[in-house]
Amino acid sequence: MGTAKPPSPPSERPTRQVRRLKVRDGAASLTGVCDFVEAAASTSGFDDRTSHACQLAVCEAVENIIQHGYQADSGEIEVTAQTAPGVLTVEIVDRAPAFDPTRYPIDPSATLREARVGGRGLLMIRRIMDDISYERRGRQNILRLTKNRSFTGV
Amino acid sequence: METQTQVYPRVTVMSVKGRVDSTSAGELETALKKLLDEGKSNLVLDLSGVEFLSSSGLRVLVTTLKAVRKTGGDLRLAQSSQRASDAIDLAGLDVLFKSYGDREAAVASF
Repeated sequence: MGTAKPPSPPSERPTRQVRRLKVRDGAASLTGVCDFVEAAASTSGFDDRTSHACQLAVCEAVENIIQHGYQADSGEIEVTAQTAPGVLTVEIVDRAPAFDPTRYPIDPSATLREARVGGRGLLMIRRIMDDISYERRGRQNILRLTKNRSFTGV
Repeated sequence: METQTQVYPRVTVMSVKGRVDSTSAGELETALKKLLDEGKSNLVLDLSGVEFLSSSGLRVLVTTLKAVRKTGGDLRLAQSSQRASDAIDLAGLDVLFKSYGDREAAVASF
């Protein structure tokens, strides 16, 4: 992974695209997930900093599913990216036990004595993405992360 | 991920390059623990080459910070890449670390 390619001129971009990635190899797949999100963010026309923030958010969500949902066992995760100019929506579907990351309590303050880094990934996701929704459908967790503004820092 | 270590009389600088995520965080933790085991507790991490830093990598930085502070040392950050800096800020951990724009300033701060 390196510097993102400059986005194509808007006239050359299709208005809406959907792409899918299946993750089966646990943490070893994370680089592939980042590359997938980088390509989708580029299609949406986001700059490198925003693209990186989206990669971070999606990888944190996938890493949580691998480590806590599937507890490092292999389990399938399907990542779907819908892109349109200025908008990226990533849907992450897994079949781990139900977990709603939108309702998990997080204390954003950090002191060295109390600093548990657990939960920091969820804090990062909430700070990066502009809209987050969760649905439990049958045995599936469905997490939707949407970015529709450039990331310019915390 | 790659690390490179430079030892000064009072300070040790470790440069980190590449991706620090759950697949490489253990490797970084081992490299930092080795320095602690050698009694090196004044540490500077040069993050200029970091392309990706997830919460797994941040966990290693916080764990190391706690360990060196217990022995009277510190872990300070130097010339963090935009990506590393964004990850630290997004995780709300920027308040824990002293950060410097260049590694000479970070080394001289000890």
